[in-house]
Amino acid sequence: MEQARKTDVIVTEGVTKVYEADGIPVNALNGIDLTIQSREFTALVGPSGSGKTTFLNVISGLDSPTEGKVWLAGQVLSEMSGNELSDFRRDNIGFIFQAYNLIPVLTVEENVEYIMLLAGVPKAERHERVIAMLETVGLTGVADRKPTQLSGGQQQRVAIARAMVSEPAIILADEPTANLDSKTGADLLEMMRHLNAETGMTFIFSTHDPMVMESATRLITLRDGRIDTDETR
Amino acid sequence: MSWILIKLAWRNIFRNKRRTLIAATAIGIGLAALIFVDALMIGMAENMVRTATASFLGDAQIHRVGFRDTQEVALTIQALDEVTAGLAKEEIVEHFTQRTLAPGMITSPANVSAIALVGVHPPTEKFLSQIDDAITEGVYFEGDNSRDTVIGAKLAEILEIGLGDRVVVTVAQAESGDLSQEMFRISGIYHFAGEEMNSGMAFVRIEKAREMLAIGNAAHEIAIKFTSIAYSQDPTLPFWEAYSENGNEVLSWTELMSQLTAILDMTKISKYIMGAILFGVVVFGIINTLFMSLYERMFEFGVLRAVGTRPFGMARVILFEAGALAIVSIGLGAILGFVLTGVFTHIGIDYTGIEMTGVTMQEVIRPIMKAEQFVIYPVWLFIFTIIAGLYPARHAAKMSPAAAMRRSF
Repeated sequence: MEQARKTDVIVTEGVTKVYEADGIPVNALNGIDLTIQSREFTALVGPSGSGKTTFLNVISGLDSPTEGKVWLAGQVLSEMSGNELSDFRRDNIGFIFQAYNLIPVLTVEENVEYIMLLAGVPKAERHERVIAMLETVGLTGVADRKPTQLSGGQQQRVAIARAMVSEPAIILADEPTANLDSKTGADLLEMMRHLNAETGMTFIFSTHDPMVMESATRLITLRDGRIDTDETR
Repeated sequence: MSWILIKLAWRNIFRNKRRTLIAATAIGIGLAALIFVDALMIGMAENMVRTATASFLGDAQIHRVGFRDTQEVALTIQALDEVTAGLAKEEIVEHFTQRTLAPGMITSPANVSAIALVGVHPPTEKFLSQIDDAITEGVYFEGDNSRDTVIGAKLAEILEIGLGDRVVVTVAQAESGDLSQEMFRISGIYHFAGEEMNSGMAFVRIEKAREMLAIGNAAHEIAIKFTSIAYSQDPTLPFWEAYSENGNEVLSWTELMSQLTAILDMTKISKYIMGAILFGVVVFGIINTLFMSLYERMFEFGVLRAVGTRPFGMARVILFEAGALAIVSIGLGAILGFVLTGVFTHIGIDYTGIEMTGVTMQEVIRPIMKAEQFVIYPVWLFIFTIIAGLYPARHAAKMSPAAAMRRSF
């Protein structure tokens, strides 16, 4: 099992998460066993309250499971300290959020380079990688702009650049196309597919968007905190 | 790494300009108030000390031991010539003057009043007291008429006399206790704000006073003015020991006016209390502002944690924001404090005639600005702000990224 996990990007074993909501225990995840391989382009789908968000929280180390274990890139998340988890996320996971969630007081370049700053990458290298990454996501000449000066599609491109610039093994995207019009959403999805194919990064989406579901190489449906269906295409 | 967090914090505090401005103004007003109160207290203390020392007391005085308690006329300064010769050579002594002091009675055709008869040497006395400056009628011992006397306006009113009128002064002689009476003519009338000097003293030439008291060439008091008043508060000077011998004692104004010293010490304590209250208010204001800012940007903090900012990094963002808020507040407070203090330094605060701890204010109080007010208090404010920021910073550091980002992941 340990040997196999070194080649898997994400492994969960009996992951359970119980929340207290107004003193009433709520089972958000009910013993999820899942393995996600490198280079997968996975979509997590399911109705609201099915546990998609909780599952993404748990596999990214943003939240801890009540029971069970999570291996990410061969390491057990629950065995890490707060600082180790922060460093691990910085080096291994890129996040893309539904509402872009760029830091509004930082410029596009500063937003993208933030993770590299945390990692202590030298300034010249940071600048070079930011410009290259912005070019990859189709944004040139906006490095000095503030996020509020960009359209929604442009902001999500910046968010993708931020997620990918440090070349993490996994990209976790929460409803990345939900706030975009169909064309912009399709463009960005195509771009992410391209980056997935080119870089080998593993993408995991939480989505309600049929377009994302169609593009996914694996479609996992969650219902009541359990895996309902798991379809590889 | 720190630089981006500093940049983030600095820009963050200007995201909600109105709130930052209100918070910074509130904190700045606290700082300005502290600067102003400190300047006012320094001005008031200097005013009181100047009033106490310059109007009659001097920076220090020499007496025979026991004289101050008993006012016994026979207790004159020992080895007076030796003492005065020594004082004349002291580098720290700018001026000194001899006086005789005796309780007595002054009588006019209309009334009678108890007084302190003060024998002065007019040429040197003018450097130690402000009687000459306070003359409102007549002159201050011009010519050489030994029967001239200068009295306060209130005493003149009690005696119902005016310039040129005659009065009789009665004192008891040293050793024998025999009464001695002399007639004087009012040559000058002064007005001091202080009641005691205005109504309870009569000044005559020291030669005449010595003759009346039968004390030869002796004196009861030597009033001293130093080249700097700071010497009067330096107990390490050999001066104090040198003149506290042969049965004499030399005391600085701080000992002569111990109640004034006590009140000045008390003003310092009240300043610290006020500072503590102001800083207390400031601390809670800052905590409130930082928490509001924190809760407003909860999701953003969650994102920062998610992308790899360590818990201590989050705490640093809050502490840098506290620091940035402090810098803006200090800037506002220092400007406000400078303007406020400057205005009152220019116009002054009129407490003339008000008596505090035996000192009657002679001139308007002008706050005195010192460079340290613009250094020490801002530094304290900065430190307090950072300390105040520790609580929200700890909160930010302990925040669960998942809870912070409850809208998503």
